[in-house]
Amino acid sequence: MSTTYHGEDRVPIPPTNAQQFTTVCSYCIVGCGYRVFKWPQGKEGGPKPNHNALQADFTKQQAERSGKWISPSMHSIVTERDGRRYHVAVLPDSDCVVNKGNHSIRGGTHGSVLYGPDRPTADRLSHPLIYRGGTQLPTTWEEAIELGAHVIKACLDRWGPDAIAMKFFDHGGGGGGFENNWAVGKFFFTGIGTQMASIHNRPAYNSEVFASGDAGVAALPSAYLDAELADTIVLIGANSYETQSIYFLEHMLPNLSGATMAKKQQLLSGEPHQQGKIIIVDPRRTSTVAIAETVAGKANVLHLQINNGTDIALLNALSRIVYEQKWHDQDFITNRTDHFDRFKSTNLTQDLDEAVRVTGITKEQLMQAAEWIAKPKTDTARRRTLFLYEKGLIWGSKNYENVASVVDLALLTGNLGKPGTGCGRLGGHQEGYSRPNYPGKRPPVNVDDVAIKGGGSKVFWVAGCNPVGGTLNAQQFRLSVARRTALVNQALDQAIGSTAQEKVAIILKAVDAGGLFLIAQDIYPTETVKHAHLVFPAAQWGEMNLTSINGERRLRLYQKFMDAPGVAEPDWKIMAVMAQKIESLYLAEGKKDMASRFAGFGWKTDEEVFRAAAVGVKGAQEDYGETTYAMLCVLGTNGVQTPVKTISNGLPVGTTRLYEDGGRFKFIPAAWQGFPTPIQQLMNDARYPFWVNNGRSNHGWQTLYDDVRKPLVIGREPLPYVEIHPQDAGTLGVANGDLVELFNPYGVVTAMVVITDSNRPGHVFMLFEHPKGWLNSLTTDYVDPDTTIPYYKGTKAGIRKVGALTGMKERLTFLPTNRV
Amino acid sequence: MSELSRRTFLKLGACVVGGACTTSTVPPVGQAAEPQACSTMTTILPYPRTRLTNLTELSVGNSLSLTYPDTSSPISLVKLGREAVNGVGPDRDIVGFSGYCTHMGGTLTYRAETGAFHCPLHYAMFDASKGGLIVIGHATDNLPQLELEVDARGEIYAVGIKGLIYGRQANILA
Repeated sequence: MSTTYHGEDRVPIPPTNAQQFTTVCSYCIVGCGYRVFKWPQGKEGGPKPNHNALQADFTKQQAERSGKWISPSMHSIVTERDGRRYHVAVLPDSDCVVNKGNHSIRGGTHGSVLYGPDRPTADRLSHPLIYRGGTQLPTTWEEAIELGAHVIKACLDRWGPDAIAMKFFDHGGGGGGFENNWAVGKFFFTGIGTQMASIHNRPAYNSEVFASGDAGVAALPSAYLDAELADTIVLIGANSYETQSIYFLEHMLPNLSGATMAKKQQLLSGEPHQQGKIIIVDPRRTSTVAIAETVAGKANVLHLQINNGTDIALLNALSRIVYEQKWHDQDFITNRTDHFDRFKSTNLTQDLDEAVRVTGITKEQLMQAAEWIAKPKTDTARRRTLFLYEKGLIWGSKNYENVASVVDLALLTGNLGKPGTGCGRLGGHQEGYSRPNYPGKRPPVNVDDVAIKGGGSKVFWVAGCNPVGGTLNAQQFRLSVARRTALVNQALDQAIGSTAQEKVAIILKAVDAGGLFLIAQDIYPTETVKHAHLVFPAAQWGEMNLTSINGERRLRLYQKFMDAPGVAEPDWKIMAVMAQKIESLYLAEGKKDMASRFAGFGWKTDEEVFRAAAVGVKGAQEDYGETTYAMLCVLGTNGVQTPVKTISNGLPVGTTRLYEDGGRFKFIPAAWQGFPTPIQQLMNDARYPFWVNNGRSNHGWQTLYDDVRKPLVIGREPLPYVEIHPQDAGTLGVANGDLVELFNPYGVVTAMVVITDSNRPGHVFMLFEHPKGWLNSLTTDYVDPDTTIPYYKGTKAGIRKVGALTGMKERLTFLPTNRV
Repeated sequence: MSELSRRTFLKLGACVVGGACTTSTVPPVGQAAEPQACSTMTTILPYPRTRLTNLTELSVGNSLSLTYPDTSSPISLVKLGREAVNGVGPDRDIVGFSGYCTHMGGTLTYRAETGAFHCPLHYAMFDASKGGLIVIGHATDNLPQLELEVDARGEIYAVGIKGLIYGRQANILA
């Protein structure tokens, strides 16, 4: 009997008259292009090319990379609101320049998580829920909005804007986009005016890369083309084969293999070219390292297996070597930067022996890295280096200086505004940010600590994230949310049969006594949703039109192709309905000033919100000017790269890379100052000997909200895994498939053992954000005091064996993922 | 039925296409229907019962390249030397899989030192001892696995496949 999941052994084919839509992946930053085929159940196409919408010949075996194969995971049957059923197939688009028909396991399985009442997605939130009778019961939008508006208004009137806290998505792609983000910002910043705002993956309202902004460098300055043209790619804190898969496969690897030589010679004539080199900074020897070595040859790959949290020392050491070797770009420094002197007296004083000692990287490796980054190719040709960093750096021990030190190295070497160069984020989610200004300060207030755990706010509205699992110091956050929301539950439980008006008074009394009124807005009943007093069902990707940009600022329209379940609505619509209700409540009291803060939410369509949001991105890297949906329809999955310069012949003209025509930058002084105190305390405590590195794995996306409903993915990974070195496994007495407990003063979690030498002894790697074992129970509550950004990537723990997972481990694989 | 499917139908003898008619029998848009013969009495594709090899021909670690259910679908048969998910034979260690990666159809190679099938296109790996479970990579299904039977004389037969072979609409071509 098989316990390994396999899909069906046949799929239906779209007929020639199937409806077709263009869209972009809902998941990672790369934003591969997809085409959607939709046709009524009961119809199907034929296997001959002129009988199906793919124009494919299914009477024969297709060749590899045909681009016309429908995997069972790409297809399902959905049920619209009128009860009609349709086949939907979501296929990668061969015409999209981002993915060229390629796809990751994430985007390639979209079809399997479309909503259907008879599918694994049947538990989608379809109707609002209200806390009633000791549980969460379905209700109407009218009742839910009425109660929510009254409670929000009453708290706002009594305690001021900061009584209302929020934690919302701010990204693009699924669960985000310009439309939804604009409405959210307008509600909380123009309407409520609260400072207690936080973002889905962090405890405050901040940029992940303040230092880059301060330096004058936007977060996404380069194009994917630049990875094809660079002499050297530097990946810092990213496992790109798994986390930006198609960017790595379709744009970086062809450079490393030499396949882009002709393109280099054509676009960058007059200088010598070779296959690309790559430097990978990661405490772990990942699949990315292994594949890069296979494709480029070991001589062209430098894996700097850095000690957790020591990036500033590494990057400043590289800057110092570059400067002392006179490989810096003096013209660029003189003509396009300021404050070099501050950088020189800070970053460039990094002691090289200290750098070797703290980072664990050898002097020879530092020299080689510096050479690959900046040693000129000829007297007239500088080396083109593309610096790409992500969460390993951003969520490091000191966010501000981490980012500053890599930007400074890029400025020192003149790697901005030219083909094959850049310094920016790889990205996690896609982007789609446009909001009125946040009314708080910088560094922003720590909402987790002050508003939630500290009791400072009375209402907490959470959307599109699962903080009881995913936030830092998650165990304590989870307990606070449970305790504080229970106070409201108990008050309501004691007032059986109360009227709507009485409920508001009861809730106000309970929150005054320390309770928390929780509103959760989501697509699934997640662990956070289960604590809520009001639950708002949201529309997901494909159920509304949305727009976003990917990691090279490529703006596309993600077309709506099906109904949301029940009465679920797009996030922008929910914010608008709530705003309009609050506005009417203030008008009824004659409070025109307060009412006017909630005015202007009368949009009727997704596109009206898109156009309203244009003002919020003016002058930013996302600026889309006068672009309309109709224009984006014409541009399909290739869209336009923002900023949009103008509209010409009815279509937007974009920007391949930033800073080609100008831009002046600032060096930001950044010094390595050791570990923050809470981490140092863990480091000094023999009970917590293991560094717990952490991150994503290839097949799952974030909190696995979709993946728990994909048998393919959850079958591969029913529990979070922890990679343990064979030496440590021997000491701990554990084998593959054992369950271990990881613990420290902040929390406890369990994970399944995978023995591999990908980490050094004394270091483990645990999968983050798995709902059956939240790694973030172990992360400390430390944040960078200058940016309020957590150090997610580094904590320490003790590990002890729980037992063998017999009956589960036999059908799982423990083969190392970091070999080719 | 088309000419091709008529030949296949006759060759397969008793097996007929079951359930919904194959798509090749659906009349193209705008054309008159052709007379169809199809049975609704089965929902299983007409997999042939094909002799692959004998137990005595297999040695641990070596993969045998054959085809199933037809000559344009390469398969690999492997004796792993340890019990495997869906393994057959006296040691329950004989497994067979499609030779095409379920990402974009790359031709897979079995490597005894990993016990996995490896794809050269985008580096997918499938664990041969775990029913073709994806180890890493971008395939959207685990590796299609042969249903195997071994008779009293050690003859190994392929009788079906779980999962859809890359590049096909159904495992049995029209």
